[in-house]
Amino acid sequence: MAISFTVNGEKKTLDVDPKTPLLWALRDTLGLTGTKFGCGMNRCGACTVHVDGQAKRSCVTRVSSVEGKEITTIEGLSPDGTHPLQISWQKINVPQCGYCQPGQIMKAAALLSETPEPSDADIDKAMAANICRCGTYQRVRGAIHEAAAEMKKA
Amino acid sequence: MNYFDKDTQKSPFKVSRRGVLQAGLGLGASGLVLGFRPGRTLAKPSSAATDAQPAFAPNLFVEIEETGKVRLIVHRTEMGQGVRTSLPMMLADELEVDIDQVELVQAVGDKKYGNQNTDGSTSIRLNWEPLRQAGAAAREMLVQAAAKKWGVAADQCRAEQGKVIGPDGELTYGELAVLAAREEVPDKPELKDPSDYRYIGKKVTGLDVPDMVQGKSTYGMDVRLPGMVYASIERSPTIAGKLGSFDPAPAMAVRGVQKVLTLEARSQPMNTNASVAVVADSTWNAMEGRKALEIEWDSGGKTLESSDDYRAKLEALVDGEGNAVRSEGDWAAARDGAAKVLEARYHGPYLVHAPMEPLAATALVKDGKCELWVPAQDPQTARQRVAALLDMPLENVTVNVTFLGGGFGRKSKPDFIIEAASIAQQLEGTPVKLVWSREDEVKHGFYRAQNMQKLQAAVDGEGGLVGWRHHTAFPTIISTFMAGATDPNPFEVGMGATNLPYAVPNVQVEASGLTSDLRIGWLRSVCNTFHAHAVNCFMDELAEDAGKDPVDYRLAMLGEDRKLKFSPREDPYPLETARLRRVIERTAENASWGSKLADGMGHGFAAHFSFLSYVGMALKASVEEGKVKVHEVDCVLDCGTAISPDSVVAQMEGAVAFGLSMALYGEITVRDGVVRQSNFHNYPMLRINEMPKVNVEILQTGNPPSGVGEPGVPPVAPALANALYPVTGKRFRDLPIAPQLKA
Repeated sequence: MAISFTVNGEKKTLDVDPKTPLLWALRDTLGLTGTKFGCGMNRCGACTVHVDGQAKRSCVTRVSSVEGKEITTIEGLSPDGTHPLQISWQKINVPQCGYCQPGQIMKAAALLSETPEPSDADIDKAMAANICRCGTYQRVRGAIHEAAAEMKKA
Repeated sequence: MNYFDKDTQKSPFKVSRRGVLQAGLGLGASGLVLGFRPGRTLAKPSSAATDAQPAFAPNLFVEIEETGKVRLIVHRTEMGQGVRTSLPMMLADELEVDIDQVELVQAVGDKKYGNQNTDGSTSIRLNWEPLRQAGAAAREMLVQAAAKKWGVAADQCRAEQGKVIGPDGELTYGELAVLAAREEVPDKPELKDPSDYRYIGKKVTGLDVPDMVQGKSTYGMDVRLPGMVYASIERSPTIAGKLGSFDPAPAMAVRGVQKVLTLEARSQPMNTNASVAVVADSTWNAMEGRKALEIEWDSGGKTLESSDDYRAKLEALVDGEGNAVRSEGDWAAARDGAAKVLEARYHGPYLVHAPMEPLAATALVKDGKCELWVPAQDPQTARQRVAALLDMPLENVTVNVTFLGGGFGRKSKPDFIIEAASIAQQLEGTPVKLVWSREDEVKHGFYRAQNMQKLQAAVDGEGGLVGWRHHTAFPTIISTFMAGATDPNPFEVGMGATNLPYAVPNVQVEASGLTSDLRIGWLRSVCNTFHAHAVNCFMDELAEDAGKDPVDYRLAMLGEDRKLKFSPREDPYPLETARLRRVIERTAENASWGSKLADGMGHGFAAHFSFLSYVGMALKASVEEGKVKVHEVDCVLDCGTAISPDSVVAQMEGAVAFGLSMALYGEITVRDGVVRQSNFHNYPMLRINEMPKVNVEILQTGNPPSGVGEPGVPPVAPALANALYPVTGKRFRDLPIAPQLKA
């Protein structure tokens, strides 16, 4: 059964098992490997993407459930890697191994679109969904504040 | 012939702009294209895969083309510790090039690069001299070439950011490359004066970070080859277990499943379990096929020993006599003559690594050769093992190293790479990516050893230490390489037990070993984690008994400044008690140690020497509704010379998170013959809402650089345990802490 949806602005039609998690459809079928596999059970947030603008964990999102929807992955967050979070992440030198960071950034982007000036508590509440084993949390907080400030200026 | 050699004639890498490689690496006659993205591409051998031999390649680490393109080769593995920034910083500084203009090339596993085993916090220490010399040698040759061309003396010329500047003009490195190649490589190039460093000791943003934040970096999990298939493996739950009966039919009936293969168990040092691999057209379909497998394992009547039984064995061991691994003075006489003898037992469970990227490995076996794309901490060992497995000469095995989504020691073991090669062998000509699930990673780990320690102190009338006995018991990591090994190795007890820094006249350190049903591995900081916990907590107990402040007590017990050597490994880097003292004093100062705290808040202290570095930590914690809240951590580090200070600070911040996960939650237990934990719901990690504010100070003491990736972890758990004592009245001699607060 073909399933159609939009990924990073491009219409895609896939012929995969409808139960396939969106994560594996993105990674294996569409080659968008920026979205990461960490736990496969809705626990770590490494697989976070936007579905119609909302942060969703793609490892537990069936591909059939996104029929007709708009998906944004880290590859499509900005056309040239200049989303304020991508800039602040570099400025504050957030990543260590970097593996969880696409998920962190996608989750943070959804936070900023709902709460443009988040407090530390807002950040903790939203970002507790995402595990970073390297422990970059202090810088994640800093980089979200930094991006929020830049977006306010703009 | 090497796939890459063939490829380079057909579809070379194209260098389009700074640091950017276009993907498009054809593989062999089938025209395979390796889907690496543009960027600071990994998994590419050095000159073998570049489109042209560089005009100037004076050593293994520097290549300069006539176009001016500079390539720096990184031979150690990037797993978050920042080697792909800090090693190039050392090269670029001495070479005098703009670090933002270089291209980084990740080396394949090859002994020509020397030690590539990225463990033990050694990447900087082992390469500090050689890489600066490699950069300086190239720079001197470029200067010499320019001087000759101009007919002036070399000392009238200087190198600066990719150019040589002479009395009457300047030439770029690209213009000089061909000429420089004719110069002799200097034996002893002159290194820069530290005051002239452009990068070393300065903040440099991670060179791979721009790609990382766009999802462009290729991790082991992300490797894609045309025609590639995917595999998921069901393993025997016990190490020695054999495949009893199984029926591949239900798995074969699952959509996308192409093959079901069996893999035999391989003993040390291969260390893989008997297993059944399901091969499919996608990761998900392989995993679904695997779920449908019906397998009976033949465990030979053996089940995994329970953690509780194991604990009882450890306890019996430390209550008895062990092998003396350090004896000074006469412990027994000191004990018998002491005003008081204090003792305590400390216990720590098995721990698993849980890097965010579970294990993954991609392999292709074709025409008597094997090529691998893997997140390997130790690519040379991976190469040797695969060559042995496939009965191929070493040169027929190519190990390309990807980014690692965390390693922490787990990816130094090549078991998952061996599995991928075994599958690829059975799929001759078809590349296969083996993907481990999180459950696989948790249940089939190489675990940090479960351990027990008994500490005893003989104290005089004033609480001074006159005798110290430390008996440590745990299964040795040597059992991972040699079946049946039991005795802890000197290097293991040398991680925080034998190298006690305190000045005690009578010291007895004993070790006891035993076998384990689980595989033992390195986990960030290794035995230092449990030894530091025991020693630092015991020091606090002794201080309390003596009626002294824990920091004052430590400083008093350090005695006179001494340089201690416990093993040849530490030869150029003795344990200097004066440096430890300075770290302790500075930590206390930064933390305003001794000042009044809010009600319900505890301040805990720990200091530890490991990987030749000195770390002090003071940690503020409280307990709110049965949950630990860590408020702030002050950390001071002396790692001699910090090459990339911002990375060093990041490592300390990360070490606090890693140490808190370990101290609060980390526990792998065996019950009813199985590892109980499986994923993050029952092997939890610290999350951002639990992350304290971490303040880090690096003491740049001018000593040679020492370890950074690991030394921050050991003091965390004892600092937390010590902070919670005044809050709860409980000495946390057992880890993890969180389950004990619920009880």
